[in-house]
Amino acid sequence: MSEFKTSDEGLLQVSSLDAGYGDLQILSDVDMNVDDGEYVTIVGPNGAGKSTMMKSVFGLTAYMAGSIEFRGSEIHGKNPESIIHLGLSYVPQNENIFESLTVRENLEMGAYILDAVPDEQIQAVYDRFPILEDRSEQEAGTMSGGQRQMLAMGRALMLDPDLLMLDEPSAGLAPDLVDEMFDRIDRINDAGTAVLMVEQNAKEALSRCDRGYVLVNGENRYMDSGDTLLGDEQVRQDFLGG
Amino acid sequence: MGTSSATGRSRELLARPTVVLTLGGGVLLLLDLLAQLAQVDIWIIGGSLPFSQLANYLWTGLILGLIIGLAGVGLSLTYSILNFANFAHGDYLTIGAFSGWSVAYVIAGLGSLDIADLVLVTAAPSDVGASVASTPVAVLVGLFAAVVVTVLLGLAIDKAVYKPMRNSEGISLLIASIGVAFVLRYLAALLFGTGRLGVTAASQIPSTNVFGVTVSAHQLTILVVAVAVMVAVHLLLQMTTIGKAMRAMADNRDLARITGIPTERMITATWILGSGLAGAAGYMRVLTRGTVGFNDGYLLLLLIFAAVILGGIGSIYGAIAGGLLIGITSRVALVWVPGEFGRPIAFGLMILLLLFRPSGLFGGVETA
Repeated sequence: MSEFKTSDEGLLQVSSLDAGYGDLQILSDVDMNVDDGEYVTIVGPNGAGKSTMMKSVFGLTAYMAGSIEFRGSEIHGKNPESIIHLGLSYVPQNENIFESLTVRENLEMGAYILDAVPDEQIQAVYDRFPILEDRSEQEAGTMSGGQRQMLAMGRALMLDPDLLMLDEPSAGLAPDLVDEMFDRIDRINDAGTAVLMVEQNAKEALSRCDRGYVLVNGENRYMDSGDTLLGDEQVRQDFLGG
Repeated sequence: MGTSSATGRSRELLARPTVVLTLGGGVLLLLDLLAQLAQVDIWIIGGSLPFSQLANYLWTGLILGLIIGLAGVGLSLTYSILNFANFAHGDYLTIGAFSGWSVAYVIAGLGSLDIADLVLVTAAPSDVGASVASTPVAVLVGLFAAVVVTVLLGLAIDKAVYKPMRNSEGISLLIASIGVAFVLRYLAALLFGTGRLGVTAASQIPSTNVFGVTVSAHQLTILVVAVAVMVAVHLLLQMTTIGKAMRAMADNRDLARITGIPTERMITATWILGSGLAGAAGYMRVLTRGTVGFNDGYLLLLLIFAAVILGGIGSIYGAIAGGLLIGITSRVALVWVPGEFGRPIAFGLMILLLLFRPSGLFGGVETA
C-alpha cells in the first residue's frame, strides 16, 4: 500500500497507475483517491502529467498498468463513451464545448444518455449560470472564455454527477473572473458533488480544496490537506513560487 | 474594428492581379450577357441570345445543381463525421441508379416483357414506357429501392472495409475508398455492361412550356423530391437528438465520446444518411438524363467534390449552395463555350472563388 492511499471507501481510487500516449509513458505508479463529496486538487509544474491523469480516468490515454476504480469497480479498459454512465463527468481543458451547437444544444448533449431531455435539469443549470439562459440560442463558439467555461461545466453537471472532474477551469480567464469561477466550484462542491480539479493557479486551488496532490514528472510528490501543503516550506518554494 | 479590417482586406485583395483580372473578366462577361440579351453588338461584346435560351440554361443548371447538392450533402456528412473524403461516393450514385431502375423496370414491365431484360435494364425504353406520368408507382418504388440498396451497400462496405481501419489516418481511408470505387464501378459494368443504357424515352415524358423554358415532369419530380429531402435532412440535424449528436460528433469527437455519444451508432447513422442521399441522387439523375452508364457516378464525383469544396467542406448547407452554383455555372457557361467546356468552367469558378474564400462559402460556419 502506498503512502498516498488514504481511504478504502473512496469514490475514485487510482492505484499504481502507469499510463501515457502510444509507447510514451507519462504517469508512473500514481496513486490518487477522491471520497464522496470531497474536493481534491492536483497541482504541479507543466508536464507533470496532471491532464494525463484526468484523461486516463476517461480512457483517453494508453493504459499500461495499475488500476482505476470507481465505487469499487474497475473502470480501466472501458469505452470512454460508457464512463459517464457511472456518475462521473469530465470537463477537459481545451475544446470543452461543441462550438457549432447552440448553448442549449450543448446542455442537451450533456444529457444525451438519458431517454428524454431533462428540462428541469437544464433549468437548474440556467439557475446556476444565468448568462447561459440569456444566451441559450447563441452558437457556443461565439461566447467569451468565461461563458464557455460555464457552459462546459453546465454540460458536465447535466447528469448531476457524483464526481466532477475539471481540468484547469481558470485557464484563459480574465483575473477578475478567476475568483468568481472558484466560488462557483465551491458552490457545486457544497451541494454535494465531489470535485477533482487540475489547476495551474495552485495557491488559490489549494486554499479552497480539502486535499491536494502535487504531481512531478508523472509521479506523486506530496499529498496532504490543502492548508498543510500551502504551509509547507518545501512545497511553497518548489511549486508555489515562494 | 470589423469594418476597418474588412476595408483593409478588400484593399489587399484589389492589389492582387488575379483578383483584378477576375473582376474585370466578370464585369466583361456580365456586360456581354446583357448586350447579347438586348440583341446588340458593341465592339467585342454582344450578339443575339434569346432570353428563353438563358432561362433554359438556368433551369437545367438548377436541376443538375440539385442532384449535385443532394449527393454533396452525403459526401459532406461522411467527410465531417468520419474524417475522410470518400472517393467511392460517386459510385454509390451509380449503384443507386442501376438498382433503382432495375426495380422500376421490373414493376413497369412485368408480365409484358422478358424479366431478364427488365432486371438488367436492357429492355427498350419505349417498350417499358417508364415515366412519372405513365408508371408513377414503378418510378417511386424504384426511388425507394435505390435508397435501400445503396444504404445496405454503404453499411456493408463500412463493416468490411472502413470499420477495421477506424483509427487509421484520413489518407489511408481515402486510398481504401478509391479501391472501393473501382470495385463498385466494375461490378456495375460486369452486371449491366459497359454500354450506355437507355432508360426513359423523352417523347413519353410530359413536358410543358413556361415562358419559353421547357419544363418536364421529371425535372419537376427532381425539384420536389430534392427540396423535400434537403428540408428533411435539415430538420433531422437541427431538431432531433440523433441529428444534434451527429453534429456534436462532427464538431468535437473526443468531447462527444466523453459525453456518452456512441461513436459507432453515429457512424452508422451517417452512412445511412450519406448513402441514402447518394442512391437517391444517382437514381434521379437518370430521370433527366434518360440513360445510365457504369461510369456516370464516377464522372459526376468531381463536380460533387467541387460543390462540397466550394461550399466549405463539412457544411451541408455549403454543399447545397455549392451544388447549385456548380450546376448553374456549368450550364450558363454554354452561352460562351461549346457543351464539353461547361465542366472546366465550373471548376474554374471553384478555383477563383477559393482564391477569395479559401475555406469555401460556408467554411468556418460549421453546420455539420
